[in-house]
Amino acid sequence: MKRRKNYLIFITPAFILYTVFVVFPVIYVIYLSFTDWSGLGAVHFVGLKNFGTIFTDPRFAPEFRNAIKNNLKYLLCVWFVITPFQYFVAYMFFIKIPAYKYIKFMVFFPYVISSTIVSFFAMLVFDPNIGFLNHILGSLGMSKGAWFGDSHWAFKLLVLIIIWQSSGSGIMIFYSNFISTSKEVMDASRVDGCNEWQRFRYIMFPMSLPSCASIISMSTIWALAIFDYPFILGGAKGGISGKLDFANIVFYRYTFGSALNARSDLGFGASICVVMFIVMFVITYVQSRILRRFEYDT
Amino acid sequence: MKSKQQDIGGREVYSSRVKVLRALISAILILYTCITIFVIVTTLLDSFKGKGDLISNFIGFPKAVVLDNYKNVIRNDRFLLYFFNSFILTFCGTAGCILLSAMAAYGIARYDFKGKNLLTSYFLIGMMVPIQVSVLPLFLILRKIGLLNHRLGMILVYISGISMSCLVFQKYFSTIPRSLEESARIDGCSDSKIFWMIILPIAKPVLFTMALITAVQQWNDFYMPMVLLGNKNVTTLTLAIYRYLGQFAKYMGQSMAAVIITLIPIIVIYFLFSSQIVEGLTGGAVKE
Repeated sequence: MKRRKNYLIFITPAFILYTVFVVFPVIYVIYLSFTDWSGLGAVHFVGLKNFGTIFTDPRFAPEFRNAIKNNLKYLLCVWFVITPFQYFVAYMFFIKIPAYKYIKFMVFFPYVISSTIVSFFAMLVFDPNIGFLNHILGSLGMSKGAWFGDSHWAFKLLVLIIIWQSSGSGIMIFYSNFISTSKEVMDASRVDGCNEWQRFRYIMFPMSLPSCASIISMSTIWALAIFDYPFILGGAKGGISGKLDFANIVFYRYTFGSALNARSDLGFGASICVVMFIVMFVITYVQSRILRRFEYDT
Repeated sequence: MKSKQQDIGGREVYSSRVKVLRALISAILILYTCITIFVIVTTLLDSFKGKGDLISNFIGFPKAVVLDNYKNVIRNDRFLLYFFNSFILTFCGTAGCILLSAMAAYGIARYDFKGKNLLTSYFLIGMMVPIQVSVLPLFLILRKIGLLNHRLGMILVYISGISMSCLVFQKYFSTIPRSLEESARIDGCSDSKIFWMIILPIAKPVLFTMALITAVQQWNDFYMPMVLLGNKNVTTLTLAIYRYLGQFAKYMGQSMAAVIITLIPIIVIYFLFSSQIVEGLTGGAVKE
């Protein structure tokens, strides 16, 4: 009889810490979103007032709409630029293009570099005054750019930098899915005389769709929570004409930077979090309904 | 159109057109990887330049090797303290997280009890909630228990991030044959002894790969330390670099040296264990 309760010894420590620091905060943030707590003193319930402010306040609403718009724009980039790029590169490794081992090693490398150092490198390359790019353009006699100070370039450069730094993880997940494709199928295709393109079109592509679905749903969550790069490169104000403003940066600005009413309003910050979370949830849900069609029955 | 056949040895034989295309893609990707080498090497070279040299000669070899930048960073900016902070946070956070998630995964994988599936999904919530949603409550909780701006508070938050490793370990433990434990139990081993003496040693490779990927993520973390560790005494390396970025023009040389110091452990770890890092990353995501 004693043995039956032993699992509690194993599970309880993790369960307690996980509940306190991972699950409880989610509940707590929802509770806070209905208050106007400043962080000190009494807590007042204000109902849905915070949510009203988010969508109707003449100063805040456009700002937030712009940020959400940027989030969605970035999400589109994840779907139609970053993920296809990752898929393509992973397939190139799979068909063993020349020097693929070296390329694989180097393409994944930036993934282990911290976002601040990557931003530092971005500055070295794109800084308008001292950056390499303007240096090179200047010595070639071409006109220099303002890069992150240019509203046409800022967002594109951000996506480029993210591709450089973090596409390695998705590439590796696609790649390990490709190489786990059963050898029999590959051999059979060979015996049947499939050419490269046919093998991709009729075997590898359909078989990789389930893994695409799981990668896309994970990267969607990250896309909607993006913070580090736009914050470090564009600052807490959202970069040049708000091109690098994202929901999370708005949240940070208003919660820890107290940009509304010049006082910290944690309740308001919490409600931004909740709206963010709802948007995230809705998109992930709709997406999973669409992607489910690609899952094959096993 | 037959572009590829198989020769006797089983290796692919390509037509010349496909060969050219493959070489071309390879060349483009090699050029792409040169970006990484270029920025790192230039930073390394720049970190040895004096102030005047750095401005007049931004790209290229230093005229004379100067170690002032490193001396400045280490002596005047207490970089060793930041290094120590990052190290302690990552070490304790990773060790605690891996140990707790291994224990929880073992408890779930090896015992039958009511609500087992519910608990499994409960532990997965952490993967669906980005940290940005819970950072404000974490800030308030840590302030309440007096651990805001304390290394211990940050470590506790890191330890709690068990979702991913718990999932991977659960998968792994269910592949270990039960007969191993049964025989140990007959020999009079207690449950906890079985876990420590038999299961953990067997699982070492998996524990190691998950520990690596967790450690890399914690070492590089920027957002949480920024919010939860505002005090300068508990600052981490990534935050220190961020401060340099803010005053780049003033501290150009120093920031180059600071970046190099921060990069060295990462580069060493990557060269030694890149395949394990990849394994740790893909372990939870690969669908079988």
